[in-house]
Amino acid sequence: MANNVLLNSIEHQELKVITERSKQYGDNLWYSLTFPTEFRSVQAYYPIFFNKDASTGQFISVALFGFQDQENLFLTGNKWDATYIPLSVARQPFLIGVQKVNEDGEDKEQRVLHIDMDHPRVNQEQGEALFLEFGGNTPYLDSCADMLETMHHGILDSQIFIGLLIEHELLEPFSLDVELNDNSKHQMVGFYIINEEKLTELNSEILTTLHASGYLQAIYMAIASQSNIRGLLNRKNKLLGL
Amino acid sequence: MHKPLKKIVIVGGGSAGWLTAGVIAAEHSTDGDSGIEVTLIESADVPTIGVGEGTWPTMRSTLKKMGVSETDFLLECDASFKQGTKFINWQTNTNEYYYHPFTLPRGFNETNLAPFWQPFRDKISFADAVCMQSHLGEHDYAPKQISTAEYDFSANYGYHLDAGKFALFLQKHGVKNLGIKHIVDHVGQVNSAENGDIASITTQQHGDISGDLFIDCTGTSSILLAKHYSVPFVSKKHILFNDSALAVHVPHQSPDSPISSFTCSTAQTAGWVWDIALPSRRGVGYTYSSAHLSDEKAEQTLRNYITPIIGKSAAQVSSIRKIGFNPGHREKFWHKNCVAVGLAAGFIEPLEATALALIELSAKMISEQLPATRQTMDIVAKQFNTKFLHRWDNIIEFLKLHYVLSKRVDSDYWRDNRDETHFPEGLQEQLILWKTQSPYHYDGDEAGKMFPPASFQYILYGMGFITDPARKKRIDLSKKADRLFNENVKHSRQLLAALPTNRELINKIKQYGLPKI
Repeated sequence: MANNVLLNSIEHQELKVITERSKQYGDNLWYSLTFPTEFRSVQAYYPIFFNKDASTGQFISVALFGFQDQENLFLTGNKWDATYIPLSVARQPFLIGVQKVNEDGEDKEQRVLHIDMDHPRVNQEQGEALFLEFGGNTPYLDSCADMLETMHHGILDSQIFIGLLIEHELLEPFSLDVELNDNSKHQMVGFYIINEEKLTELNSEILTTLHASGYLQAIYMAIASQSNIRGLLNRKNKLLGL
Repeated sequence: MHKPLKKIVIVGGGSAGWLTAGVIAAEHSTDGDSGIEVTLIESADVPTIGVGEGTWPTMRSTLKKMGVSETDFLLECDASFKQGTKFINWQTNTNEYYYHPFTLPRGFNETNLAPFWQPFRDKISFADAVCMQSHLGEHDYAPKQISTAEYDFSANYGYHLDAGKFALFLQKHGVKNLGIKHIVDHVGQVNSAENGDIASITTQQHGDISGDLFIDCTGTSSILLAKHYSVPFVSKKHILFNDSALAVHVPHQSPDSPISSFTCSTAQTAGWVWDIALPSRRGVGYTYSSAHLSDEKAEQTLRNYITPIIGKSAAQVSSIRKIGFNPGHREKFWHKNCVAVGLAAGFIEPLEATALALIELSAKMISEQLPATRQTMDIVAKQFNTKFLHRWDNIIEFLKLHYVLSKRVDSDYWRDNRDETHFPEGLQEQLILWKTQSPYHYDGDEAGKMFPPASFQYILYGMGFITDPARKKRIDLSKKADRLFNENVKHSRQLLAALPTNRELINKIKQYGLPKI
């Protein structure tokens, strides 16, 4: 259960965050949220798919780490075998909360840093400190705040991007047939990919609109990322000694 | 004679006019020289009937074909999901009920479960045993999730909707997206051509509107088919007695009140009360036989029905609308170049939500078989008339079945309903046959009928009818039947664990909309 609290330098002066990657810190994820402005980094290692949030029916983009729940094929012991980790994972245990403030007599909403006090990474003994001895954020904490800000804008942009994909019928359902070296088979369903056929039929007006917002590049990054499926398969075969 | 048919004129708005216009315009191009013209003319002074709020599952594909977004439809028409009808007090008036759901009994195409269920009829209702939908109904569950794409389902469904909002919604969509020409004006004279066809109709402000095909959607007035062409009316009042309805809208007890998944039909002394739940309110009405009950007594019954919902004082002052009708239909529906759709074609009590379904079927046939020229029109018209007369007979027979199976003796109405002299032809024979064989698809003879054999099973076995097969089969299918019953239990449990309530789903749709894929 999450216990998200507003981060402050007084109460949380002594807190430290373990940054090791491992199953015990919640890294055994099947997939995690990503967004178009991150696609360029993500597509170097991970297949990018789309998925529906079960509680809202809204689509999100995801970076795939394995073929089933709790299977992260990049995670071995306490190493994550890739030089880029999607921000939605890297920013743990931090998240953005919204605080209402009154600025110049006007009610505004401010984004403020929260931490999940129940997250296994959060402790007082080991890992990265959050606040300096005589006040102020550590560079580590600042970098987490930056990640969250990037993620916040990235997610807003993603909603527009996905809205356009749906409007132009550029998403289609996809089931991945996984066949391992021992001929065992498994089907991964419930994901969606770019409909390349529809993509080639788009008129120049729509293409220009997509290009202008950087979305055309994102589409092609997503398509290119499909080649990482082979890499995932290899990892799984290796893990099982096949 | 051989001139291509071009101008379709629909006279009358409402659900009939706008659905028919929409179905035709969605199928046929309205562009350029080879396109057709679809014009709908309706009067600003003639109100629509204002009831007609239950649909069959076919409405999903009708709306989809028209290019309507299901999210927009649900939100703008105050609509919710209908999974069938729940019949209360029809058998013995002891608070008993049964379900007629929109899902076939499990494995129906290969296996008839009815004889295998029958030995256990005191332990479990037919619907509960063969289908998962009645279980959903008992908990006011939705037929799908927020992540299910528009028009897709976990359990088959139609809609409950606000009739007035529906017509306006279809009008907006039809005019904006389907090229339908909309004229608001009053129709006066109907002008004949030499061959007796309707050449044009004279309007107050738009002059004469000419057309090749005229579709009469003018409601019970039927100004084209009945008034202009004097096509006679065939009354079915001697079979189905109800000829009056009192209708009222009541608010839910609270904004979070559950929304029922089924239309409720509660039998009364001289008819039955419909209760249709929309997100913002309930539409309730008592349809009854004026020959068996006075209007005053009927009104009091309705007020008593709504009292638990809105309290005694509110129930006494609620504004109730009276609708009188003649149960029956026109002798033919398509005469020369005029075809009637909706109330102009006929009307029967809404016991199985047939009115909107008939509009869909009529629009579908007119659109799919839109005559290429005037010459082919007479052929299509003949087939249309034959087909829809059969459909009306199907409806009359099926509706009557609900009454003849009742064991109620609390009034003359119920006793009179069981008098065989008031049976439609063939029903008595069918009842004898069903005593030893279930309704089932024998040799494909049910193609084209309004109600499939499964529907007859739900009514018969919901009302306690017993089918006793005369002999045993060579191959014992009871293991297969057991497997199907167990699968149904499992499926019901899965759905009850996964699905939201109607209220929860509607609230999420208001927030997120349904995904397009």
